[in-house]
Amino acid sequence: MTPAIALRDGARRTAREVLTGYEGPRVRIMEVCGTHTHEIFRQGIRKLLPPSIELVSGPGCPVCVTPVGFIDEAIALALDHGCTIATFGDLMRVPGSSQSLQQARAQGAEVRVVYSPQDAEAYAAAHPGERVAFLSVGFETTTPSSCLAVRQAVEDGVGNFSLLTANKTMPGAYEAMSGSADLFLYPGHVHAITGTRVCEDLASRGVSGVLAGFTARELVAALAVGVTKFAVGDPFFVNCYPRVVTAEGAPAACRLVDQMMEACDARWRGIGVIPGSGMRLRESYAAFDARRRYDLPRIEGRENRACRCGEVLKGACAPMDCPLFGKACTPDHPVGACMVSDEGSCSAFHRYGVDV
Amino acid sequence: MCVGLSARVVKVNDDGTALVDATGARRAVSAQLLDDLEPGDYVMVHAGSAIARITDDDEAETDQLLEEYL
Ligand code: SF4
Repeated sequence: MTPAIALRDGARRTAREVLTGYEGPRVRIMEVCGTHTHEIFRQGIRKLLPPSIELVSGPGCPVCVTPVGFIDEAIALALDHGCTIATFGDLMRVPGSSQSLQQARAQGAEVRVVYSPQDAEAYAAAHPGERVAFLSVGFETTTPSSCLAVRQAVEDGVGNFSLLTANKTMPGAYEAMSGSADLFLYPGHVHAITGTRVCEDLASRGVSGVLAGFTARELVAALAVGVTKFAVGDPFFVNCYPRVVTAEGAPAACRLVDQMMEACDARWRGIGVIPGSGMRLRESYAAFDARRRYDLPRIEGRENRACRCGEVLKGACAPMDCPLFGKACTPDHPVGACMVSDEGSCSAFHRYGVDV
Repeated sequence: MCVGLSARVVKVNDDGTALVDATGARRAVSAQLLDDLEPGDYVMVHAGSAIARITDDDEAETDQLLEEYL
C-alpha cells in the first residue's frame, strides 16, 4: 500500500498521487546513491513521474568514482611487489589504463575476491607467507569495516596485511555537485553513519535535499516530500528515513574512523580532485598502508577517451548519450566503471531499458 | 559492494561478532560498532559489519512523515 497523506480539504491522497499529479515547477533530482538508482528503476518508480520531475544519477557508486590509476596501483602491487590482492568482486572487471584485475590475474597476478575487509585480514592471518593488500574502496558505510580489519590485524599481530585506500566521503561531492540538481536524494546509509548535520548545513546554504530509504514506500514518500517542499520554494532538508538515520549517526563508527584515519585529497573519476574528500590511514598505522609500505610511485591512470562516465557521474549526460552505450560497452564487456558495477548508472540503464 | 542488507540478529557471540539472518541467509558479521546488540534486534549490514540499528517496520514511520510534511 502506498502511504496516504492528508489534503487540505480533508481528502486523502497517496504519495504516489502527489508524484503523478505534480504540477509544480520543473525539478531536477539527483540520486546520489547508486543503490537508489537501481531500486528506482527496479520498482518502476521512474514510470510514475511526469516530465516535470527529472531524475539524474550522481556520483554515489564507489566503484564508478574510483579512478583508473587506482586499478593500475593494485596491478602494480600484485605484479611488481608480489602482493595478493583481496578485493570486493565488482572491482575485478573495472578497466585500468591497460587492463583490469581480472586480465592481470590471467598474467599471474594473485587476486582473491572477499566479502569484507575482515575476511581479507583473516586470509592474511591464515597465510603468513603472503603479502595481502585489501582494496579499500567505499564511502562512509564501508570505511569503518576497513578500520576494524586493521585494528584486528594489530591485535592479532598480523604483519602481512595492508590497505590500498581509496575511501571517500560524501560531503565534498555534495558541494561539487550542488549546481547539478535542484535537490538531492541523499543516501540513507551514508548518513546512518555520519548523521544529518551536513544535510542541515547544506540546506542553510540553499542546497535542498531529502534523505531516503530503499523500499518502494520509502522512495516514493521521499520523492513526494521532496517535490512538495520544492514547490514551496524555500531551501529545506527532510530526513525521510528516520527508522535508520538519526541526527547524530553512529558515534562508535565515527570515533573508530577518526582514530585510525585522516582526511586527504581524493581524485573522483569524472569529477577530478575534491580537496579533503578522501580518507587514508594515519601515520601511526603507516605499516598497514600499502602505498607507504611498498613505496608505490604516483600513478596517473589513462581513461578511455570515448567513455563519458565522467559526465554521467555529474548528471551532465545520460548513459544513452554515450556513443559506446550498448554497442562497444555492455555489462559483459564494460569500457567504463559505470557499466561494471551493479550500482553504476550505465549498468542500470542497460539492464532496465532506456525508454523510461 | 555498497549495498546494505537489513538483517535480524540471531545470536551475539563473545568474540565481537553476531550471527544475523537476512531473509533466510545467515552469516556472521562484526558487531563491534554497535553497543549492547541483542537477539531480535534489526541491523543494517555493510561490508561485513552491522553499522546501524533499524526498526523492522517502515510503514508507521513513513505515514507519520507524510502526515507531517505534505
Ligand atoms: S556506456 Fe560505457 S563507455 Fe559510455 S559512459 Fe557508460 S561506462 Fe563509459
